[in-house]
Amino acid sequence: MAQPKDIEDLISRVALGDRAAFSSLYDQTSAKLFGVALRVLNNRANAEDVLQETYMKIWRYADRYMSNGMSPMTWLITIARNTAIDRLRATREGADVEALADRLEARGPTPEQSAIAAGEAARIVACLDQLETDKSQAVRGAYLQGLSYAELAERFNVPLNTMRTWLRRSLISLKECMQP
Amino acid sequence: MTQQSEIPDDGILAAEYVLRLLPQREETAFEERLAREPGLMDYVSFWATRLSGLNDEVPEVAPPSRTRRRLMHRLFGSVERGTFWQRAGLWQALSLASVALAVFLGVQVLRTPETVLPGAGGPLLISEIAAEDQSLRVLAVYDPDADRLSVSRTAGQAAAGRALELWAIAEGAAPVSLGVLPDDPRATLTLPADLVPLVASLTLAISDEPPGGSPTGAPTGDVLAVGQVREL
Repeated sequence: MAQPKDIEDLISRVALGDRAAFSSLYDQTSAKLFGVALRVLNNRANAEDVLQETYMKIWRYADRYMSNGMSPMTWLITIARNTAIDRLRATREGADVEALADRLEARGPTPEQSAIAAGEAARIVACLDQLETDKSQAVRGAYLQGLSYAELAERFNVPLNTMRTWLRRSLISLKECMQP
Repeated sequence: MTQQSEIPDDGILAAEYVLRLLPQREETAFEERLAREPGLMDYVSFWATRLSGLNDEVPEVAPPSRTRRRLMHRLFGSVERGTFWQRAGLWQALSLASVALAVFLGVQVLRTPETVLPGAGGPLLISEIAAEDQSLRVLAVYDPDADRLSVSRTAGQAAAGRALELWAIAEGAAPVSLGVLPDDPRATLTLPADLVPLVASLTLAISDEPPGGSPTGAPTGDVLAVGQVREL
């Protein structure tokens, strides 16, 4: 497993146009980023496209990584997730919200997953666990699947504004819980 | 609804931004603020970092090898050794190479057999440095006998007020500038001595730079075209 420092070194070499470093960065991180894209899109062909697009952005914008305060892996995941969500929203027109709801229902961590999560993961999971189930599921749905307020409102069968209020209150609780 | 939920503070707005919950218009407005207010990035990075812990629940899935192949092809074009002729089509590539060579090497490429006996400098090395969309294409030929790199720009040019700079990249090393390409589509450049032994494995790239070339010694603008050196 690559260490953050290694990934960071690779990104800074990619910023200089080093193709060998780019290949190696792809080999070390693409399985994670593909997993992230698949989770959002739930469609292999789209996730493959998004993965390519993600690495094209990484190649072009590696010089902007420098120190944005994110760990290298968080930065890479953020690009993959945003690219996947853009794709999702571009193709979702009239998508079946029921199908989304099914996907959402199936997610949620198993106790084992919660137990093995470490560091930041343990923290966000622990803080989410302090919220009511619906509310933590809404945050997970937004993060892991890129659901919008409208989709979340439909899923939880509440008015849009209520969903917004819910989610913002949840975020305030999360923020207090996670603040060092 | 409380006032608080209508106008969330920046910490919560940043969370909604990271989650991609903001409507398009608010997202754009937030990004404009991000560019102006550096402090806002701290909130964004707080949330991106904390929430990314949820990715530990996302299993890694190895993408199919075709994804890697297509990506490298889209980014670098014909760079994988052995695929150049297949990709370009043998005849197309041959005619491009022979036309360009005839133009700028002139009689040199038609050297009599005596001058290319074994023991001479070895075969000519060629690199087609091309943009993905072929909007910029430069053919580079290195002649080991003459120890010089001849380049011929066959498509595209520098943007107005900008320059094209040629770089050589050895495996795992930082790019080394070979110089700014002149307005004349044909030019002859010298390869730094320490790169000569590596020439057959070099990658050449052209970047968009300010007039006179990169002020830093490393590419500062977009990499416009890339090509691998190979034997002709």
